Amino acid sequence: MSNLLKYMVENASIILDYASTHFSLIFSAVAISLVLWIPLGILISRNERLASIVLGIANTIFCIPSLALFSVFVTIPFFGLGRPSSLLALVLYAMMPMVINVYQGIKVVDKSVIEAAKGMGMNSRRILREIQLPLAAPVMFAGIRITVVMATGIAAIAAYIGERNLGRLITEGLTRYHVEMILSGAILIPLIAILFDTVLGAVERMLVPKGLKVSRSK
Amino acid sequence: MNWERFLDALSRVPHELSIHVIMVLISLAVAIAISLPIGVILTRPRFRKMGALVMNILNLFQAFPGMAIIALTMPVLGMGLKPAIGALVVQALLPIARNTIAGLYGVDPNTKEAAQGMGMSERKVLFEVELPLAMPVILAGIRTSAVYVVSVGTLAAYIGGGGLGDIIVAGLNMLWAEFIIVGAGFGALLAIFFERGLSYLEYKFTPPGFTITK
Repeated sequence: MSNLLKYMVENASIILDYASTHFSLIFSAVAISLVLWIPLGILISRNERLASIVLGIANTIFCIPSLALFSVFVTIPFFGLGRPSSLLALVLYAMMPMVINVYQGIKVVDKSVIEAAKGMGMNSRRILREIQLPLAAPVMFAGIRITVVMATGIAAIAAYIGERNLGRLITEGLTRYHVEMILSGAILIPLIAILFDTVLGAVERMLVPKGLKVSRSK
Repeated sequence: MNWERFLDALSRVPHELSIHVIMVLISLAVAIAISLPIGVILTRPRFRKMGALVMNILNLFQAFPGMAIIALTMPVLGMGLKPAIGALVVQALLPIARNTIAGLYGVDPNTKEAAQGMGMSERKVLFEVELPLAMPVILAGIRTSAVYVVSVGTLAAYIGGGGLGDIIVAGLNMLWAEFIIVGAGFGALLAIFFERGLSYLEYKFTPPGFTITK
């Protein structure tokens, strides 16, 4: 244990360096996913046939082992080793939690509420913007939370395709049989993931409209 | 594309694929054998309070990445196939236990009361009412675990566990696209196969009355 702490303190600058690449990869992946998948989720909530196709694709991509998906992009000349491949793989993985949560969030909005809005003379665009999206916000945010937590873990695997992030501590530690190095990576990454999960979970609870809170706890 | 290399990679598939499948099946079986009884015990009235607590802990651990578990295994259990299976068991435990608890909690109390009113013993209620009704949720947990285990199983190559990961790792080390494509392709196919097969089972086990309300 003291060895581990010693290792972490001695290599603090490298670890911090790795952590910052780790975060930048996660944030750019989440940012791109937000831009791509939220509109797609809204789009498929209005077209059932498209929805089943898109959700099927998302589900299938989500099944593919992460090491496999990362390394397949390496074989494509334009992507190669490093950032573009890892970013693309993470964005594709995010498709499933994001799209499905946006879709379901919009779908579970009470029919009678939409009916009432229609009765008040709102057109479908206003219903989407003023009724469906705000009511779907907590579910959509749950999707973002899952994506962030998942990306934290999967980003570590990108170390095998040349990302210099916290996963590097594990990959290099395994090849060098450097136990402290392995441990510092294997402890830091889950810690960060759990931290993200807890913080974003708290934000998620804050997003739930007051009227909905009671019915949820039942 | 180099055909010789491609064929070389293909010739390694049967061996690595069988190791991968064995690894996945053993760890799933062990995980089910451990987490199903735990889930049942934690939902009995006597331990109900503990069940909620364990559920919270399990939710927290869901954020635990697979690679970290693989990495933590090596200093403890060493290298090879057995430690890899150990890591995969840990990985597979959580979704199954979680879904068992959630599925059993989800059974309508009125249904249970009706069963008791018909004179069923507690055991009979569990085996003939609760478990069949919770089965789709439990199977969904097993499906999640299976896909997860296939995925993390490719990482087992890095702690000497073998499996399809070996082909991918060889490809990444030499930057041979043929090896990567063959290893990754079969890995993806295996995961999709497990996903589809288990969702079919899930569909089969869903009581007919449930499918309409969904």
